[in-house]
Amino acid sequence: MIEKVVAKLAGVSKYYGTGEGRITALDRVDFEVNKGDFVVLAGLSGSGKSTMLHLLGCIDKQDEGESYIDGIDTTRMSLEQLAPVRLEKIGFVFQSFNLVPVLTAFENVELPLLFKGIDKNTIKSRVNDILHELGLQERMHHFPREMSGGQQQRVAIARALVTNPILILADEPTANLDSKTGADIVNLLIELNQKKNITVVLASHDSVVLDRIKHIVNIRDGKINSHS
Amino acid sequence: MNHIKLVIIASRNLKRNSRRTLITVLVSSAGFAALAIVGGYMDFTFFGLQEMTICRGFSSSGGTGHIQIVRKEALTKEEQYPMEFGIADNDILQETINNSNKDVKATVPRIEFTGLISNGERATSFLGMGVKPEKEIKLMNYWDDVYKNSKKNVFQEEMYKRLAMSPQNGVLLGESMAKALGATVGSTLMLMGTTVDGAVNAVDVTVAGIINNSMKTVDRYYLVTKIETAQSLMQTDKVSKILLVLDNTCKTDGVLPAVASKINRPGNNAGYSVIPWYQLAEYYHSVKDAYRIIFGFTGIIVVLIVFLSAANTMLMSTMERVREIGTLKAMGISNRWISMMFLYEGLFIGVMSIVVGLLFKEIFTLIINNANFEMPPPPGMSSTYFLKIYPAFHFLPWISLLLIFSTTCSGFLTLFKIRKLSIVNSLTHV
Ligand SMILES: Nc1ncnc2c1ncn2[C@@H]1O[C@H](COP(=O)(O)OP(=O)(O)O)[C@@H](O)[C@H]1O
Ligand SMILES: [Mg+2]
Repeated sequence: MIEKVVAKLAGVSKYYGTGEGRITALDRVDFEVNKGDFVVLAGLSGSGKSTMLHLLGCIDKQDEGESYIDGIDTTRMSLEQLAPVRLEKIGFVFQSFNLVPVLTAFENVELPLLFKGIDKNTIKSRVNDILHELGLQERMHHFPREMSGGQQQRVAIARALVTNPILILADEPTANLDSKTGADIVNLLIELNQKKNITVVLASHDSVVLDRIKHIVNIRDGKINSHS
Repeated sequence: MNHIKLVIIASRNLKRNSRRTLITVLVSSAGFAALAIVGGYMDFTFFGLQEMTICRGFSSSGGTGHIQIVRKEALTKEEQYPMEFGIADNDILQETINNSNKDVKATVPRIEFTGLISNGERATSFLGMGVKPEKEIKLMNYWDDVYKNSKKNVFQEEMYKRLAMSPQNGVLLGESMAKALGATVGSTLMLMGTTVDGAVNAVDVTVAGIINNSMKTVDRYYLVTKIETAQSLMQTDKVSKILLVLDNTCKTDGVLPAVASKINRPGNNAGYSVIPWYQLAEYYHSVKDAYRIIFGFTGIIVVLIVFLSAANTMLMSTMERVREIGTLKAMGISNRWISMMFLYEGLFIGVMSIVVGLLFKEIFTLIINNANFEMPPPPGMSSTYFLKIYPAFHFLPWISLLLIFSTTCSGFLTLFKIRKLSIVNSLTHV
């Protein structure tokens, strides 16, 4: 079976600041994610993990190098031009969940679908299904502030999954959770990856994560240090 | 579809920040009420000005009446001799009009004439008006609404009464003219003028009253006689014009064509022009224009305040929700959709402000209208009046539109802020 490349960075560099104080966040990185992969980006804080996720997820622009998503060359596209690409192909899970506070769990998950022009009934059943699948049926009509961190992160995962993206990007999804809940979240992502062949790239330096994943990419000072 | 959710998000955010929403709504609704009340005051002022123009006129030249009838030639040609284009048979004409139209309450004939007035030693020219005093008084009293409870300007009316009661040839003089002639009430003077045949004629008159006109140039030449005095001076039975007094100003445009067709029947070769009051009211229009500019400026300032207050709220709202905005942007929702959320917030604030503003407006109007605020005399008048605010319903749709427009615009303003927000930085913003 030929592996299909989902996302690719080629010779990508990212700098912050100018002149003397310029920081190289990423230094000529080459990276590929294939369909069905579960990759963990590991490394110390400040090593460049988030920056890499941002570039993979088309929410930031590299200063050098080329980027691709699902075969589309995104190198010269603006962030606003990339909005439909993100909506269509990418799901984000953030460290602090980032749910819309005034929307219920159901409404948060429903939100991206509403902008995709899918009919009402399809949306309703899809959101229902996914919330059941993630064990959130009891919390559907609760607001984020009425839910625990773990539940909120589940809702965030549901929101990321509901559009059937080709790539899920999770930046330190366990950092704001206790280790037990963190483990649950990682297990959930692993399960989704194994059962549904969902591609996941996860940035973390949390042992809860590292203990469970085999494919780890070590990053140090903006460079890929080692693969495993 | 998307819009429904955006509307929900907008309304919930407004509820979540209920304090701030309340303040913004209060500011905007105060703006609404202010504009509506200014509009009501404007209506009141214009109405008063209109009725004053009709029943009393400004600078003591007499009211215009609702409609004036003159010979057509009088408007286009110069007279070769006095009263060439005067209205002959005016008694019959007045009777015809009075009998044919129920809305005409009275007809008021007037003569305009010029000549010299002398005390035997000195003479000075005058611009005279020949009137039927009891009819002029009727015209003055036609309207008694806004000025009902005020200290009425009874002086002018009193003067006309004296003129009516004076022996055959009484006159009212302007104060400066009286001074120039050394005349006091009871003095005998002589009017000199030209008859319709071109001969010089003179009539002895007795000063029945002296009137102080606020406009000096008018006062120096001001003279009022009974119509008969003017007619005997010029040896004519014509009058210059006939004023019609209706029972309500709003009937003017309705009565106009009816009267015109009645007195201009084919075969009747006289040819009369029938002129509504508003074509005779230069002063009314100039004051109205000036007020409109003042009120217009007030409007712009109020709208600006409303806009700035709403814009401030919106920008605070975006600042507080940077992370949410960043998340939505990361999810692939376009800047325009995101700013639409704020646009709806602005729209809601606008709608709420209209409702609350209407309430404010009604309450304040009620208070003001019952407080009997005594106002200084309006320009050209000497009597005070009580401030009233009219309903001004015709302004409300415009004020509402302006308000909605400015609050919604302030929501739209967030687009520029949202565009500038970096996704990556806003994701972790606290
Ligand atoms: N917005 C920014 N401005 C300046 N420097 C930044 C910014 N974001 C990241 N950096 C720098 O880039 C480097 C990589 O950061 P990041 O990708 O967030 O690392 P990690 O996610 O591995 O902790 C760090 O040195 C960090 O200080
Ligand atoms: Mg990071």
